[in-house]
Amino acid sequence: MRSAGTYISAIGHVGLIGWLISGWGFSSEPLPFEVAEVSVVSGEEFAAILAATTPQPDVANPTAPAQPLIEDAPTPIEPETAPQVVPTPEPAVQPDAETPPPEAPEPPAPPSDVADVAPEPPAPPAVEAAPDLAVSPRPQPRPAPRVAPVAVAPPAPEADVADIVRDAVVPDDSAVAEVVEPAQTPTAPEEAATEIAIEDAAPSGAVTTSARPRTRPNRPAPATETPTTTASDDAAVAAAVAAAMAATAPDLPAGPPMSGSEKEGFRVAVNRCWNVDPGSEAARVTVTVAFGLDRDGGVQGDVRQLAVDGGTSGSQSIAFQAARRAILRCGASGYDLPADKYDQWREVEITFDPSGMRLR
Amino acid sequence: MMKRFLIALVALMLAGPVLAQSGPLRLTITDGVIEPLPFAVPSFEPENAAAAQVAADITRLVSLDLSGTGLFREIPASAFISAHSSFAQAVAYPDWRAINAQALISGAVTVSGNQLIVKFRLYDVFSGSEMGGGLQFAGTVDGWRRMAHKVADAAYGRITGEGGYFDSRIVFVSESGPKDNRQKRLAIMDFDGANMQFLTDSSALVLAPRFSPTGDRVLYTSFASGFPRINVLDVTSVGTRQLQTADGEMAFSPRFSRDGTQVIYSLANGGNTDIYRGDIASGASTRLTSAPSIETAPSLSPDGSQIVFESDRSGTQQMYIMSANGGDARRISFGDGRYATPVWSPRGDLIAFTKQNAGRFHIGVMRTDGSEERLLTSSFLDEGPTWSPNGRVIMFMRETQGAGGTSSLYSVDVSGRNLKPVPLPNGASDPSWGPLQP
Repeated sequence: MRSAGTYISAIGHVGLIGWLISGWGFSSEPLPFEVAEVSVVSGEEFAAILAATTPQPDVANPTAPAQPLIEDAPTPIEPETAPQVVPTPEPAVQPDAETPPPEAPEPPAPPSDVADVAPEPPAPPAVEAAPDLAVSPRPQPRPAPRVAPVAVAPPAPEADVADIVRDAVVPDDSAVAEVVEPAQTPTAPEEAATEIAIEDAAPSGAVTTSARPRTRPNRPAPATETPTTTASDDAAVAAAVAAAMAATAPDLPAGPPMSGSEKEGFRVAVNRCWNVDPGSEAARVTVTVAFGLDRDGGVQGDVRQLAVDGGTSGSQSIAFQAARRAILRCGASGYDLPADKYDQWREVEITFDPSGMRLR
Repeated sequence: MMKRFLIALVALMLAGPVLAQSGPLRLTITDGVIEPLPFAVPSFEPENAAAAQVAADITRLVSLDLSGTGLFREIPASAFISAHSSFAQAVAYPDWRAINAQALISGAVTVSGNQLIVKFRLYDVFSGSEMGGGLQFAGTVDGWRRMAHKVADAAYGRITGEGGYFDSRIVFVSESGPKDNRQKRLAIMDFDGANMQFLTDSSALVLAPRFSPTGDRVLYTSFASGFPRINVLDVTSVGTRQLQTADGEMAFSPRFSRDGTQVIYSLANGGNTDIYRGDIASGASTRLTSAPSIETAPSLSPDGSQIVFESDRSGTQQMYIMSANGGDARRISFGDGRYATPVWSPRGDLIAFTKQNAGRFHIGVMRTDGSEERLLTSSFLDEGPTWSPNGRVIMFMRETQGAGGTSSLYSVDVSGRNLKPVPLPNGASDPSWGPLQP
């Protein structure tokens, strides 16, 4: 990175070299000799003058030649102030970074595909802290979008907006109480201010952090097994090619992928019906189930067990029943899912992992 | 071959992105809720007039048993939409779904003379199916409580996947009188405190009764001779006999082996206490520990291969595990305070203990390697844990402070929830939970 330091260093070196030169010139006497050479004299005169003039340069030294060189030495000091000038080249570099306006013509192209997708690719490593940003990540330049008789502070990011204020209720493991309240998301009134604030009047709304881009919605499925496992290689290859060709054409998903908050809403809708008994052996079982949904969000057919891990066969069965009951109970009146993205949630796989709820 | 592989690979690469986009929506749920499961028990149908009263009693007790675990919540009959008055009637699942009943228990009772027949079915309301088949129990009218417990055990087992514990009994020391002159007698009761009976009189001090694995006999320590001696008592005949020990030896803290033919116990001789194993029939005994410290309170693992016991060999009371044949012991308790009365869970995964620390007593559990220690209770004096047959509940003695302090039995779920006293007329201590009755 070419920073001021680099320039200071460079100038320092130049100064040092200059000083060395000046020092060398100070002590050396060839310059006067050069002057002497200019005047053409006879050998004898030259010898005589040489003998006579040698002291002269000594006297002249402080005056002419050395001083200019010393004047050169001050110049290193100038460079020190010069960095102020030097940074200007750097701004010249920054403009390159900022000049994306010229480069912008390229980005505009991806947005033409899908506006949401474009921001995602640049930062795939986004952590799953994203759910917290369920609230619109767009910073509000004005104090509050809503005006009410009473000022209301911005609700907590995880709070739903509602008229009635409720505190979050979280299952309390330590409590002896027999009845445990179901977990519920906290609610808080919508953010409001007492006055209409004009944008210009509230410049402090500057954003310090921006919303982290969400991770890519669907990871490519490990679908590598289907074709290769069949006995006949030819048949397998043919089948794979046929499947691939068939799949490319018709099955294009309609609509954009589900957003993080939509998935989170669905997840919460199921987990509030997932009743875990942390003292049971079933609390050591992780079970993955699959089921289909109709367009109204209702569960189609039965819930199937895909995978199970841990526990005995008895506790595995209980864990599956608990998962199945959760899906059926909370989906009794249909899950609230975006209808335009039906292809994204027509088939669902949920892994129920109680390891975090186990007794410690 | 290579070419085919490449073709297949290309095909997969073509298919991959499509599969990824049109594949199922995948979610992971890690945080559920912890709440009692709502169930409904419509009154069991009396199939003849004589059964009306007992049918109502049985319904009530089944409901009490399940609700008492803290894992279930009864939906009151006033909330029912569907009457479900007949056992044979088809279940109107939507009516039960509407009131959020997740399990429905339906039953019928017949009384002929002194004979009682109880039938029941269990339904999973949200999947709209029956859980397991119907069951029928036959017994006497006097034993109606056991019949109700059996129905509750079956329902509990089908819903939780674990065995029940309602049709089980507990032997304990019944206490009466003030602290300085307390009468102690062996007594036996149902798990819920009902049907209490005395097994011994109050002539001699008795301590630490322990049920046999089959529940037919009880080991206990008696001071009838002035010295502590181990007695075996037959529960049905109430006959007792003493295990052979030499004069001057004090034997105490006995427990049956898993097959019921042997006893592991502590023997104090010349100021040293060690753990022994004795054969009940022959009286032959084997010494299992030989440290100069005090080793006592042995408890066998469910498979009978290991023994957990307490020892002060480190300077304070701590818990150790060794082979059932003796040998090297490894310490498992390392927390602050003193650990005593270890009891191995019937499931085999946990050890319950009494912990004394900073002037308080606790009942706690830890895994058999000493990890994941959890204290379930805390009071002036909690002591002597015993496991329910399914390893889910711990019963223990709690004594209140002061000269007028009384001791009583409490039970607590292994999760630390649902702490409650066992209703008994007198004071009680030293509980030992027996097996499920056949």
